Amino acid sequence: MFATSWYERNMKLDDVEKAMLDGKHGRAAAWAIGFQKDVGTFFDAEDFVPIRLVHVSTDRETMGDSGIAFIEELGSLRPSERYPRAYATADFRGFDKENFNFLLPGRNLEVEGRQAVEALGKLGVVTNHAYVNDHSVTAPGFGEACGYSGTPSVIYMNSIVGARCNFEAGPSSLAAFFTGRVPRYGFHLDSKRFATHGFKLDFSPANIVDWGVVGALIGRELNSYWCVPALELTGPPPTVLELNHMALAMASYGSIAMFHVVNVTPEAPDWGAAAGGKKLDVKTIDFNDVRTFYQEWGGIGDELDVVALSTPQMTVTEIIEIAALLDGKRVHERTTLLIYAPKEIKQACARIGLTQIIEKAGARVVHGHDFFATFAKEIRLAHKWDRLMTHSVKMVNICAGYGYRPTPASIQRCIQSAIEGKVIG
Amino acid sequence: MSLLEIKGHSGIGPTVHGIALSAPDDFSTRYDLDRDRGIFSRPSHKLYGEEFVGRILVLNAAKGGVASAWMLREMVKKEKAPLGLLLNDGNPVMAQGAAFAQMPFMDRFDVDITSAISTGDEIEIVPARGIVRILSRIKTKD
Repeated sequence: MFATSWYERNMKLDDVEKAMLDGKHGRAAAWAIGFQKDVGTFFDAEDFVPIRLVHVSTDRETMGDSGIAFIEELGSLRPSERYPRAYATADFRGFDKENFNFLLPGRNLEVEGRQAVEALGKLGVVTNHAYVNDHSVTAPGFGEACGYSGTPSVIYMNSIVGARCNFEAGPSSLAAFFTGRVPRYGFHLDSKRFATHGFKLDFSPANIVDWGVVGALIGRELNSYWCVPALELTGPPPTVLELNHMALAMASYGSIAMFHVVNVTPEAPDWGAAAGGKKLDVKTIDFNDVRTFYQEWGGIGDELDVVALSTPQMTVTEIIEIAALLDGKRVHERTTLLIYAPKEIKQACARIGLTQIIEKAGARVVHGHDFFATFAKEIRLAHKWDRLMTHSVKMVNICAGYGYRPTPASIQRCIQSAIEGKVIG
Repeated sequence: MSLLEIKGHSGIGPTVHGIALSAPDDFSTRYDLDRDRGIFSRPSHKLYGEEFVGRILVLNAAKGGVASAWMLREMVKKEKAPLGLLLNDGNPVMAQGAAFAQMPFMDRFDVDITSAISTGDEIEIVPARGIVRILSRIKTKD
């Protein structure tokens, strides 16, 4: 379990961190600080920064059996050997038994899910089935350093909340849980948070999928974790959900972890503040760029196998809209319509009758991890699905790699297409 | 005796040598790979259909989300992993994944690594010293 150091030179450790490395704070902390030191040294971190909040990304598909085994190995240590030093939540949401029996028959995902939840719970990680950018977990404060895992959460917090975080992916956030600190590099440093590239929108996006496309275009253009785009708008300021879709797509298409929207996000009251006083060239994005992106994926007129509304998971407001679009209608028999929501949101929707309207139309409200993160390739093979529609530009990117032919479209177009059984223009 | 020595930033993992699989495209374990079959599965990727197991991947930038941090180790455990990874532009997820999997990984080279190394070249990676050596070429680069 203990990490090996590969370097001839290492980042600076204080006395507590040296004691952790020497095993004086337990085996889990010894593994964790060694792992963090290796990563921190790789990125030339000078030292560590203390953190209070951690988010551990733990979807069952990406963890694999070895990830579960690793967490169980940590859990098998005596409590004194695995003392936590931060408050951690995990986004493991379990599996929606009924819907996952339909999506992936023959595989007992409920048992696999329970195994992960129990292993994380034994360590003291709170498995609360939520993401900060789903607006179901308390966010850290402005300027606060934290150790969050999910890329959507990290870009959301750096950009929209103004907290400070690098991508602390699965095992990395688990390490932060045991050490109460993260290496100080990247977006913990003032100098790395200034905009490196400027963009201007000369149109006003019509809906959240347009905002996602803007994020995808910027992500593709910059294509580096270390780039920070700043964006100037000509239209009205976006909603938080619109910003969230743009953020998800930037992170997905370009590994971007921070952006500014001038006069909207907290570290960008103006161009000077966003760019740290530097003068940036500003590239204009117009609607032709967005139209070209949509045309790239095509699919209009194709028979439609599945519509997945997910990534991020649906809010109550969106589910109200979906229920209104489906009320009195029927999803075409060749098409499966999946609407993903956190468990708590699904329960709230059932209480006010929305779930019943949606299910009466033949659609499914699914709780648990997102479509793309729950064996989407295996689901495609099980159902022989091909054409997918979604309002999530991030999901388009991922599912193309899983063998789907995805079409991005607004929620309204997705629902209408599901009713007609084919991709409408 | 190497034909060429390339400098990069100090990396992660042990020294290895093997055969390169190179393309100017970006890389994510989730977005680009069929991890069960050990092939590139994204149709638009230049390495689509290529087997990656036991090869040293030479690609441009790390892309996408958190998945690679868990997945690289799972791939190693299932013996469905590349031997090493060289990127022009890494990100924390890939570094964390490599450290967790103890997979050799380097980035930030003084040249475009995807232009310098071709598929089929025999190379050695020395992450601790930030060095990649080309031991033999399958063909001469222009």
